[in-house]
Formats: sequence, structure tokens, C-alpha cells
Amino acid sequence: MTARLKLLISEAWRSTTASLSTTIAATLTVLAALFVLGCALALGTWLRSYGDSVKQQLLVKVYFCTDITCPQHGYASAKEINRVRVKLESNPQVKSVTFVTRDEAFKQMKKKYPEYTGGVVGNPLPDAEDVQPVKGEYTAQIANSITSSNLPGIQKVNYGKQTTKKILHYANVFNVLFAIALVILLVASILLVINTIRLSIFARRREIEVMKLVGASNWFVRLPFMIEGLIFGFVGSLSAVVLLLLGKAFALPALDFTKAPGAHAIAFELNALILIGFGLLIGAIGSSFTLRRFLKV
Amino acid sequence: MQEADLQTDPTPVNVAEPQPAERAEPSAATMISFENVSKIYEPDVAALRHVTFMIEKGEFVFVVGPSGSGKSTIVRLLLKELEPTGGKIVVGGRDLGRLRRSKVSRLRRNIGCVFQDFKLLPNRTTAENVAYALKVQGEGRNAIRRKVPEVLNMVGLAAKMDSLPDELSGGEQQRVSIARAFVNHPPLLVCDEPTGNLDPDTSVGIMQLLYRINRAGTTVLMATHDREMVDKMRRRVLALEDGALARDERRGGYASE
Repeated sequence: MTARLKLLISEAWRSTTASLSTTIAATLTVLAALFVLGCALALGTWLRSYGDSVKQQLLVKVYFCTDITCPQHGYASAKEINRVRVKLESNPQVKSVTFVTRDEAFKQMKKKYPEYTGGVVGNPLPDAEDVQPVKGEYTAQIANSITSSNLPGIQKVNYGKQTTKKILHYANVFNVLFAIALVILLVASILLVINTIRLSIFARRREIEVMKLVGASNWFVRLPFMIEGLIFGFVGSLSAVVLLLLGKAFALPALDFTKAPGAHAIAFELNALILIGFGLLIGAIGSSFTLRRFLKV
Repeated sequence: MQEADLQTDPTPVNVAEPQPAERAEPSAATMISFENVSKIYEPDVAALRHVTFMIEKGEFVFVVGPSGSGKSTIVRLLLKELEPTGGKIVVGGRDLGRLRRSKVSRLRRNIGCVFQDFKLLPNRTTAENVAYALKVQGEGRNAIRRKVPEVLNMVGLAAKMDSLPDELSGGEQQRVSIARAFVNHPPLLVCDEPTGNLDPDTSVGIMQLLYRINRAGTTVLMATHDREMVDKMRRRVLALEDGALARDERRGGYASE
């Protein structure tokens, strides 16, 4: 068994070194394809998570009556506020409900906009519930369900209709574009690598024919090629990972848009793992796939 | 077969030679049987038309005929490189039509083959080329170390073990390919124009080698249009004309007499 393995590896090594130029070409092809793929993965996942973090900020605000906004009703009572809260919490689309008292709201406002609040006497702000939806897409439905319930004591339900729509729209468009781009890149890199392998194998088709004529089984011919494919797939993807690592270390800090809070690209380790796995797969499968038609001797 | 016998000149001697049977059933002594074999290349080129013959174990048979008469097709059919359009081919008791594709490599290990263009692996030395035929069937390192020098000695190339094919002359390359074909001691050796690229003197050397291999018990089928060689050897001749078997003579010449 070990003798068999040794023979296999020596055959693979022989074919790798015998056609060094095509091996280098294949390695560089894998490197280029996977580098672009790795960049796309990092950028794409970052943008997605940025979109998600923006969506996370979508809130429904329920403002309760004050004596100014609802002159007939007056301040909403604790009972009314509680009923709204119960209603919201029973809604499965609601993730969390935070009650913001008018005092807290005023304090926050003073902190944020001291220039506007300086001359204000008393506290004109209402009590409010900050409602965080499970998904950004639910804001409109949650707002509608509260509005249509006609519970007393509510002055206004606000969810930034236009902004929300836009954000959700762009996020969806981006998700679709990212998926399409990823598929195109994957297919392109697979074709590119297979084409390079095809050239390398085509150059050696006479050799393969001879091997078959002296009684080599298909696997005996195929395995060294597959191992060769694994070697250049591995070396190519590893170099791509090294390049990405350099890019991450030197180029990324210069781009400060990447420092947006709440947004994260795919973990580098995972990205590297995906690339190396893909490189190995494409090397081995690409080789044996291309070999098929030359083995029919 | 004694060693001394192998060294003799290839002048025909009175060895008991099996009779090419006219209409016999295949028996245990049959090496190759073609039964009504036809091969049509797409779309409509008939390379072989209803060819029937039988070759016994230990025979030396020439297949002659002009280019395009179907000689190479017979060789390629024997190696199951091609499938016949019709008819039945049996080699060493194996019906090739029923042989599964995965077993073809095993069939080829039992048929040595020698070609006009040598078909050596270009980036391997003489010894490595011969060793490859042993490696493909999982032969161990020790056996390879023992058998390769032995067979290279037999073909007279012991001194060129480490030469690459393009450092060898045509005749030497053909000797390497014969060594590779014979290193397994296959029961059948199939040659397609083995002297086609060689000058007459070199050809004689190659023929002597094939003759010795045949004397050691291996059945040899040789496709050729080397008229002089066939006339000199006076062996069984199968003559093809336009894909049909025109002549089957036990001690024939190249042309009919």
C-alpha cells in the first residue's frame, strides 16, 4: 500500500515537474481567480452586513399623548401605555420594546442638540415606546397594526416610511447583485482553471495514449494528474490567501469607510478556508474532468 | 527453449508449426480468432469486410497489404482501441465484445504492442519506459530491478539504460519499445509496421529480435508492407485487399505466386 502511494506521488511529481510551464500557468490562473473571488467575498459580505446593520437601526416609534398634542385627551395614562405595551409584545414580529419616558427623551435631546433646547421651558416631549422589529422589513406592518388598533392614548406612530422603503430596496437589490456577481465569478474561475488544465493535458495527450496502450488503468493515469491538480490548486489558493492577507494588513486601514460600526466582512480565516477548499476542489476535479475524453483510448 | 537456441540466426528452421486451419472451431490452442469481423468508419469507409481467420498459439503471422487495406485496423481491434461494427473477436479465450471497459487495461497487459512510431514516453529514460509497463500492473520494486536489465540485455541496450528516447537512434528506440512490450512475457505480441521507419539493415535486427521472441513461445502478429522481409521469412501470411482477406498462406510471400 505504501509502495503504491510512493509510486503515485513520484508519478505526480514527475508530471508536475515535466510540464513546469503549464503547471505554473495553472497555478497563476488559480491564484488570480481566487484572489478576485476572495476580494469579492470580503467586500460583498461586508456590504451585506453593513446593510443589515442599517436595517437594525429601523425602529417604530409610538408617541403617547401629552396635554399639548391631544388637548381633549390629556396625558396618556399608565394603563393606556401598558395596554399598548402588551399589544406590542404579543406581536411576533416585534423583537423588543423599550419605553422612553419624556424626561429621558428630553435629557437625550439636550445632550444631542443643546443649541435648540436652550430656550425651551418645561418638557414638550411625549412618552414613547421604541419598537425594534425582528426584521427591518416588518416596520410598516407593526406600525399599521398599532395604528389600526385605535388604542386610546396614542398620539402618533412613526416609522420613517420613505427612508425605510429606500433602505430596504437598496439592501434587496444589493443582495441579488451580490449573488449574481458571486455566481459569475465562480463560473468564470472554474472555466478559466479548467481551460488551463485542458491545455496542459492536451499537450500530453500522446503520453496518455501510450500509457493506456501499455495497459495502464484509467485510475493509474488519472491519479497523478489529480494529485498534480491538488498541488497547483493548493499552491495557487495559498498564494491568493497570502496576497489577501497583505491587502488586509496594508491596503484596508487606508480605506476608512470600512470602519463603519456594526458592519463586518466575512471572517478572514473562513474566507481563506473557502478559497483553499475551492482551489483544491477545482484542481482535482478539473483535472479528472478534463482527462475524461483523453482516457477513451 | 534453451538459451543457445535463442541466439541462432533467424533462418527458417523446421520447427513444428501449427497448421492454419481452414475452417476450424476455436480451441484451447487458439490465440486469436476473427469471425466475420467488419469495421466501418463513420460515415461509410469500410476498413474491414467480413474478415475471418484464426491464429494458433506460438504462430508468427504477417498481415500484409497496401496502405489503407485494414492492417492497422486489425491491430487496433485486437487492443480494443476500436470496436468492430460486426463480427466476433476472441483473444486468448476472451471475447472482446463482452469485455468490460474497465478490464481493457488487463487485456492490454497480456498483449505486447510495438508501433511504427515507437510510442515511447518522451521524458523517461530507456529503463523507465520499460519499467512503466511493469508499474502499471503493480509490479514491485524488486521485480522491476530484476526484470528491466534482463530484458534490456536481451534487446542489446543494457548500455543505454539511462538515455532518453531522443538520444537514441530509430532502431534503438524500436528495441526499447520491444523490450517494453516483452518485459511482461505476454502470450501475444502485436506489431504495427515495426520496421516502417527503419532502414533495411536495422530492420533485419528488429526482425531477428521478434523471431527470437516468437521462438520463446510468444505468438507474434505483425502488420507490415516490408516486402523483402516477408519474402525472406516465409511465414504465414494474411493478405488484405481493400478490407477483405484475399489470401491466407502457411508459408507465403508478400505477393501471391
